[in-house]
Order: sequence, then structure tokens, then C-alpha cells
Amino acid sequence: MTERITDTGQMMMLKKLSEMKKGEDGEIYNILAKGEIRKRLIDFGILKGCQFRVIRKAPLGDPIEIRINNFLLSLRLEEAELIQVRQKL
Amino acid sequence: MKDLSVIHVALAGNPNSGKTSLFNELVGTNRKVGNFAGVTVERVEGTLIHKNYQIRLIDLPGTYSLSAYSPEEQVARDYLIFEKPDIIIHVIDSTNPERNLLFTTQLLELEKKVISAFNIYDEAVKSGIKVDENKLQILLGTPVVPVSSRTKLGINRLVDTIISLYEDRQPMVRKFHYHEFVEERLLRLSEILSQDIELKQAYNTRWLAIKLLEHDEQVYKLIKDRAIWMKAFPLLTAMSREIQYHFKEEPDEVINENRFSFVKGAVQETIVFSRKRKYSFTDILDFLLINRITGIPFFIISMWAVFQLVFQLGEYPTRWLEIAFAWLGEMVTLNISNDILKSIIADGIISGVGGVLSFLPNILLLFFALAILEGTGYMARAAFVVDKVMHSFGLHGKSAISLITGLGCSIPAFMSTRTLKSQRDRITTLLIIPFMSCGAKLPVYILIIGAFFPVKYAGTALFGVYMTGIILALLSAKLFKSTIFRGESEPFVMELPPYRLPSPKSLFFQMWNKAEMYLKKAATTILIASLIIWLASNFPKNIRLHQSNSYQIKQTSENPYLLPEEKVSIINEIEAKESALQLKYSVIGRIGTFIEPVIQPLGFDWRIGISLITGFAAKELVVSSMATIYSLDKSSYESTKTLQQKLKNDYSFSTALSLLMFVLIYVPCIAATTIFHREAGKTKYTVLYVGYTLLTAWTMSFLIYQIFNIL
Repeated sequence: MTERITDTGQMMMLKKLSEMKKGEDGEIYNILAKGEIRKRLIDFGILKGCQFRVIRKAPLGDPIEIRINNFLLSLRLEEAELIQVRQKL
Repeated sequence: MKDLSVIHVALAGNPNSGKTSLFNELVGTNRKVGNFAGVTVERVEGTLIHKNYQIRLIDLPGTYSLSAYSPEEQVARDYLIFEKPDIIIHVIDSTNPERNLLFTTQLLELEKKVISAFNIYDEAVKSGIKVDENKLQILLGTPVVPVSSRTKLGINRLVDTIISLYEDRQPMVRKFHYHEFVEERLLRLSEILSQDIELKQAYNTRWLAIKLLEHDEQVYKLIKDRAIWMKAFPLLTAMSREIQYHFKEEPDEVINENRFSFVKGAVQETIVFSRKRKYSFTDILDFLLINRITGIPFFIISMWAVFQLVFQLGEYPTRWLEIAFAWLGEMVTLNISNDILKSIIADGIISGVGGVLSFLPNILLLFFALAILEGTGYMARAAFVVDKVMHSFGLHGKSAISLITGLGCSIPAFMSTRTLKSQRDRITTLLIIPFMSCGAKLPVYILIIGAFFPVKYAGTALFGVYMTGIILALLSAKLFKSTIFRGESEPFVMELPPYRLPSPKSLFFQMWNKAEMYLKKAATTILIASLIIWLASNFPKNIRLHQSNSYQIKQTSENPYLLPEEKVSIINEIEAKESALQLKYSVIGRIGTFIEPVIQPLGFDWRIGISLITGFAAKELVVSSMATIYSLDKSSYESTKTLQQKLKNDYSFSTALSLLMFVLIYVPCIAATTIFHREAGKTKYTVLYVGYTLLTAWTMSFLIYQIFNIL
């Protein structure tokens, strides 16, 4: 998913959280997850517009760790796949 | 003292908010540990007395919200909603006010008396956070009290606030409102729900309306079968659609966005952040400990350290206990003359109690280690590091810690599964822990491997046994997770909390709680079960055999032609032979003999059968039963060499392999099974556990024996 959209004049790239690399910044765009995962994310205040940074991947490449809302959150790639994010170009 | 009025207070808050430390600070040792009804979630209550009030505090499990997915969240929510505490103290991690206050908004929706306790305030101040309490108090509509269990800041003030809030007759005024578009609909829906009088009396209908809009399954279930649903449902569907159309988002997102923007606003107006350093302590430690290269080695080192602490260090107190109980047994033997009574008290009761207590040092040390892992924040990171491996077998990263503990002893390992939130993950982990070869099985392996393998290969063989266990555990996990426990497993959406130094007090109380739990809930069952096994292996006695042997012994000792040394060795021989025959005559001996046809295809005979059955009492007993059956004089088998020689003469190599496999897999001891039953909570799981381990043991041993016989 690499379609480009404009938003307040800024060129943004739409992708999945699972596609983000270590050290990259982004913004939550849409939570496609359902059920418990969705509930957990929302409970953490992870909502559209939240800024985050990918801090690292686990030594075996999965899960990943992001900094969001001033705390550190880990999630598996299969869960990150259900979160759409926007990245400034 | 009797006229004290009681105030019920619940402590609620996010995990890692220092809730339990605050609880410890408030009540000290004046506490009671138990389980919440029907679930294995620890329930800790305590009391304190202040100004003619008895304040009863309950430490609810840490939760991020009032939606209920895990048993712990369920318990916390049910308590707040059904048990109706007079006051809720929301314990907030002051170093992260935003996310914590999000939970406050949910508590406020219950329209109960809430105190916002800004905990860990000392640390927050150090990192440059300052809270304008008075202003925040007005914005939230709750008292705000900065506290710290470490520096004891605000503890007295918190207690005073409980009382003044309790005495304050004014109802709570809700300061937080949703967007008027939502608020209007909530009002309408809650009015409809209020028409159901029963519902109105039991719940806050506005809260029900919010939960319905949030798609809360439990609230759905609650209302779905009531007559009012006919009216409420069409309205709810219409509203959801309207909200979605208006905000271009799902209602649950809209509701949480509203909460979050309220929180953001409140934080912006009342809390000042002046970040001092670019990288925090946590950032630096994480950079060092969980990076690509050091992550796994450090995990292995820390698990090794836990293992050493629990089982190496734990061996000393365990041995002291054993010595003390052996001494006690000896005292009884010296002072009681009746043979049977002597045996019942010394070998049955005293060694039974000793057996129960001998697990205690390991349990205490393991929970000390787990409290450190959890309290420092490393536990979540350990799970983060190994989750990929565990997840490929359908497990959660945290299961790894329980499995590793299982290599020492299944009992603390079973108890440690409480750190897993999802019931499916928990039961699966419980079921596979027995395959992690525990320490008590080692003497059995050493005996068999020593007898049948050349010294050169002994190490490799032992390693092979352990690896087989681990592989079986992981494969079984995969099997369970893709059959009976299929379905969504616990998501790994998890906070990696900041590193902190746990307080000695909280470490102490974690151990205290577990010890109390173990002694109160499990000890008696274990004691009774081991007594039964002991009775079954000693009774009935063959009296005639005993009489004729006594006669022989008497004759030998009176024989004037024998030297004293000769007498001793002949008597020992007679006694050893008798023990063997008595064991065969006992209930367990009869069972062992009876099952011979079932274990014959595995290459076992009745002697192995009896030994394996005594292994239910404790695994190391397999060795001593073998010695008894072979009539080895108790004073002469100080070295296992004689027994190994006998085994080698009587059994083939394929029987040895098959026996190794069987001991590795079959049901752990009765004490572990008792704990399993406590932790799994349902009889069907215990049946599954016994059945699965026995069946796997039989099948694997059968295959090994048959294959190696052909080769």
C-alpha cells in the first residue's frame, strides 16, 4: 500500500505499520484490527493522528517496539499489519 | 473498637503504576490473600484503622481500561461494578499522566467517588514533571493527591482524603462530557434502558449506553435477552450509523478520541513537562540489553541467573529442612515403641509434612526472582526478545519463563503461569510444563544412563533426554493451540514499562503472598495425597512373612556359631528380602503387578511397574523403589553401582531407552498434580493433563522399544 495522498499540503505516504523501518517516524491513520487487538490499542490511546517512532525490532525480527503517547509499546508484525500509518515524504 | 464504621476502598490502575507498592505501604502485613471466586486471579485485601473508621482496601489487578478481555480485567471490572466500593482510588503513574488519565475518564463514567492518586511522584518530579493539583482537581472533579510509596510522600494525606471524601455527602459531579452529538444520543439510549427497572437499579444506565456504543460484548449479552432490547436495539443501530456518518469513524473510536482529547486538554493546562535529558535511563538500558546482538544472550544469562538463584541457592534451605525433619523422625522412632504407629508418624506424617515444606524455598525464591523480573520491567522485555520462537508454537513470549522454571520443578512453574493473561495460553503452558524435565527426575536418568551407556556418551544421552522433553513440550503446545485451544491468542500489544528498582517491601510481600497461598491452599491436599501413596506402598503387611522372618532373625542372632559381623550381614539380607516382598504385597505392589500386561509392550516388567507407580509420590522414589525391589540391603547401596549392575543384567538396552522416555514424560508427582489442579481450576483440565502425559509416555516408549528391538 504505497498510494500518495495530500493532506494540508504535505505529501504523505500511506503504509502499514509493519512496513515501517527502525528509526522512522509516522502517524496513525486507521486501525483495521478488530476484536481484542483493536480494544487494546484504543485503550492505550492509540488513535488516528497519534505520532510515533519505530524504536527497534526484536533480535529475531518480530515483534517491533514503538514509542507512542510517551510510552514504549511492543506488538507483533501480524498485529502491526492491521494498522495503517502515514509517513511524511 | 467495635463501633468502627467500615469504608470499602478499591485500588485500581494501570499495571506498573506502583499500585501494589502503595497498597503495601497503606496496609503493611495486615492482609489476607485469596482468589477471586471462580478464577485463579489473586485477591489481596487489607485493612487499616484511622479516625474511628476501618478502611478495607482491595488491590485490584492492574488494567488499562474497563473493557474486559483477560480474567484479570474481568475481575477488576466486576468488582467495581457489582461490589460497589465506597471509594475508588485510581493509582496513576505520574511519569506518564496522559495514558493513565485515560483510565480515569472511564472510572468517572461509573459516577462513583474517585480519588486520583498521583503515584511515583518523586520520580516524576525528578524527570521534570510538575502537576498543578488544585487546577487538575477542579478539571477532573476528583481529589488529586500526589503520593510516593518510596518516600512515603502523601500517604497520610491519602488516608485523610479517603475519610473526608467518604463523609462528604455531596454526590460526585461529572466534569467530563462527550461531544454533544454523542452526549445527546447517550442520554436517549440511557433513558430507554432506564425503563427496565431492574436494570436501572443494578447499573448506571448511562454507563451501559456508553458500553453498548463501544460494542462491549458483555454488556450486549447482559441486555440482549431482556424485553427492553426490543426498543434499545433499533435505536442503538441507528445511533451507531449516525455517529459513524457524522464523524467518519467507528463509535468506539469516537468515544475514545473524546476521552483522549479531554485528557490531553487537562494535561496541557495542569501539567508541566521539562524534559531534562535526551535519553532516559530506560532508553539507555534498552539500547544495551535488548538490541539485536545482546538481546538473546542477555535473556539466556538472566534465565540462567534465575535458575541458579532458585535451585542452587534454594538447595541449602531445602537440605536444612530435610535434615530437621529427618531428626524429628528419628526422635519419634526412638520414643515410640509400637512399630506400626512409629512407622505411620515417622515415615508417613513427618516425611509428608517435610516433603510439602521442602518445596517452599524454591517457591519463595522463584517468586522473588519473578518479582524482580516483573518489578524492574525486564519481564516484558524477555517476552519481547523470545516471542518469535514461542509464537511459532502458538505460545506467548512470557510462557518461556514458566517453561524454563519447569526444568527445576513443575510446582513453581505452574504457579508462575499466572503472569499469562489469556486463559488459552495459560492452560496450554500448564499442560506442557510436565515435559520440561524437573530436577527430581535427574537421579533416575543418572541411574539408567549410568547402567546402560558408556561414560563417554553419558553426557550426550542426558542432553538428549532434556532436548526430547523440550521438543515434545513445544510440539504439544502447537497441537493444543491448533485443536482444543484454537482461536485468537493473546495479542502481543504490550507496554514495555520503564525500568525501575523494585522496593524491598514489595519483593517481600510478593513472596509472602505466594507462600501463604501455597501453604493454605495446596499444602493439605499434597499432604493427604502423599500420605495415601505412602499407605498404599506400605500396607497391607504380610504378617505371616514378617513373623517367619522375625523368627529367622531371632534364630540368627542367637546362633552361637556365627561371628557378630556375619550375623549383621545375614540379618540385613533377610530384612532386605522382606522389604522387597512386602512392597510387592502392598497395594502399590499389586497395582504394579496388575498393570504388567499394559507395560509389557514397552519392555517393562512388574518391578519397573511398581517403581514407576511409587514415582507418583516423588520422582526420585523410582530409584529407591528399584533398590528395594532388588532386595538391596539399605546400608549397602550407598553407591548405585550394584543396582546399575543388576539392571544391566536384567534388562535390554531398548528397555532402558524406553524407560528413560517414560520417566521423562509421564505424570509429574502428586504434589505437582495438586498444584496443576489448583492453577488450571477445572477438573477436565486435570483429567486431560493426566491422560495426555500418560498416553504420550506410553506411545513414545512403545515406539522407542519396538524400533530399537528391531534394529
